[in-house]
Amino acid sequence: MTDIRTGAVDTRDEILDLVARYHRERHVPRPFDPARDPVRYAGRVFGEAEMRYLVDSSLDFYLTASRFTEEFEAGVAEYLGRSDALFVNSGSSANLVALTALTSQKLGERRLKPGDEVITVAAGFPSTVAPIVQNGLVPVFVDVRLGDYNADPEQLRDAVGPRTRAIMLAHTLGVPFDLDTVMDLVEKHDLWFVEDNCDALGSTHRDRLTGTFGHLATSSFYPAHHITTGEGGMVYTADDELARIARSIRDWGRDCYCAGGENNTCGKRFAQQFGSLPYGYDHKYVYSHLGYNLKATDMQAAIGCVQLGRLAEFGAARKHNHARLLAALRPYADRLLLPVAPEHTDPSWFAFVITVRPDAGFTRADLTAFLEANRIETRGLFSGNLLRHPAFETIERRVVGDLVNTDVVMNDTFFVGVYPGIDTARLDYMIGAFGRFMAGERATGGRIAWPAPAPADR
Amino acid sequence: MAVVRRISCRVLAVTDHGERVYTVALEPSIPVPSFKPGQFLHFALDPYDGAGFWPESRVFSIVSSPRIRDRLTITYAAKGAFTGRMEQELVPGATAWVKLPYGEFVIDDRRDAVLFAGGTGVTAFTAFLQSLTSDHASRVLLFYGARTSDLFVYGPLARSMAAEVPSLTCHLVCEATHGRLSVEAAWPAIDPLADPLFYLSGPPPMLGALTAQLLERDVLADRIRTDAWE
Repeated sequence: MTDIRTGAVDTRDEILDLVARYHRERHVPRPFDPARDPVRYAGRVFGEAEMRYLVDSSLDFYLTASRFTEEFEAGVAEYLGRSDALFVNSGSSANLVALTALTSQKLGERRLKPGDEVITVAAGFPSTVAPIVQNGLVPVFVDVRLGDYNADPEQLRDAVGPRTRAIMLAHTLGVPFDLDTVMDLVEKHDLWFVEDNCDALGSTHRDRLTGTFGHLATSSFYPAHHITTGEGGMVYTADDELARIARSIRDWGRDCYCAGGENNTCGKRFAQQFGSLPYGYDHKYVYSHLGYNLKATDMQAAIGCVQLGRLAEFGAARKHNHARLLAALRPYADRLLLPVAPEHTDPSWFAFVITVRPDAGFTRADLTAFLEANRIETRGLFSGNLLRHPAFETIERRVVGDLVNTDVVMNDTFFVGVYPGIDTARLDYMIGAFGRFMAGERATGGRIAWPAPAPADR
Repeated sequence: MAVVRRISCRVLAVTDHGERVYTVALEPSIPVPSFKPGQFLHFALDPYDGAGFWPESRVFSIVSSPRIRDRLTITYAAKGAFTGRMEQELVPGATAWVKLPYGEFVIDDRRDAVLFAGGTGVTAFTAFLQSLTSDHASRVLLFYGARTSDLFVYGPLARSMAAEVPSLTCHLVCEATHGRLSVEAAWPAIDPLADPLFYLSGPPPMLGALTAQLLERDVLADRIRTDAWE
């Protein structure tokens, strides 16, 4: 970069070239050693460009949102065809911002009020449901289908009651839920729809990207996800009013939309009337919501700029790995319920999810213990049944049906990775391990002590 | 409000309309982000490296159509120190920075609309006028005032759009010959409209006077939108 005051080329390029060299020396993956290396279910996949951007941003030392945040937000908005994208510090924060935005008084009678119901599922991640409870709303839980692990469409229809005002669902592990049914209910009953797209960036339903159906939708960029910024998430929408509200909730609840370090962007900072404040009270400190500070940094956004450009590459790798695993495990379909992509969907898979059938002759614990003993990382499908967790046992809720499949998920379901860091050698090793287990081999000895992991949990 | 972008621009042309009123055509270094007619941009003269603190800037309505992604146009009257610098420094080939889009002064095109524009205040409406099509259903009345007939910078645009769009009617009011814009003079044209929204853009005294006149005619305050800046 050129110093705009002197016109001289500074040391920045030299530093960035050294960063690239450092990446080549320290971070290029080495060949897989099946006797020693774990096969993680997820992790950061990055190259020298990500490190260069990160350091480039740090050299700006602006720290809070600046040029990289602008570029990243604009890139995500353009990719999804949304008018607005707001970078936040996590996918969970994105969900909190999105749902809370719908409670804004600026929406008048359309806003969600305490006691209103929001349809969701219990077989998922807690931060899809927690914002509902945190806003004084009542979650209505429906069961999931085994195979795609998304809300049962029939139960979704049955769940709509007189106080139902919204639907908030996640596309489970990258598999789009039944958007035909959801959009039909949204239209028919005039419901709000928050689309938790945290695990599904790049998935499509009828050739349309998920995340473009909801009034608001969210992404997570934690390292387990399709692209990463370390910590990070995004809220996106095509609705100007919702975007303005969401920005306020992200930024302390303030009414002003100036970026950090900027003043009087609206041109009327001292010329407006709000509430019973004196006329002209400084707009920077006028609060129209009970908000949070959920902003992320420009360094995180810098990584995201590069990662977004690699989304197609990453998505293709996930699909390739998933397809290979599916083909390899199909002979065991009598004992393992294998993942299903519903009609009209093209998932950008988050993971490879398996349910051990009741008559398999072994349990989930047997299989995951064997895989873990062979350094193949496994995960349960997040909470299993959220309603059986201490924090959720006593929440006010309505339940449709008996959530029998949700309990199956809790007891018998797990997933392994398909992320782009799983190369052919790792995939072959994983397939071989499944084969050995199915041939009767079992784990012996205690639990494996994993090497220090890269952050990957959702 | 779409994602705000900060963009370096090259000055392509400067048109001098007289009386220190200018139109500046800019070539942005990246495609102009989506914006809505009536929104504005921040315009900076000082060098900016793309990071760090945004330099001193002023706001101007975006004159050009949202459909045009490779050009931006603003019109300004040189009145203060900053616009005086613009008058001196903006020549073809010069570099400037803009950030956009901002603002909520967006016309609801589903409702009948009455637009009052004073001088360069008409720039808040030019993008909207250019967005109209011949099948536009709602009625649009534009009352466009200027001190002299030479200062109807966007008079030709308004007239040509009115010729193409049956639902658009334009009234050009020359202050030197017909006095200032007033609701009283405009009311015979406004009266037949069904519960229109009023959009006012121009100098603060004009906004205050027209707002008061509308309220006197029992127009509800929430039907009056003003493009008021400090």
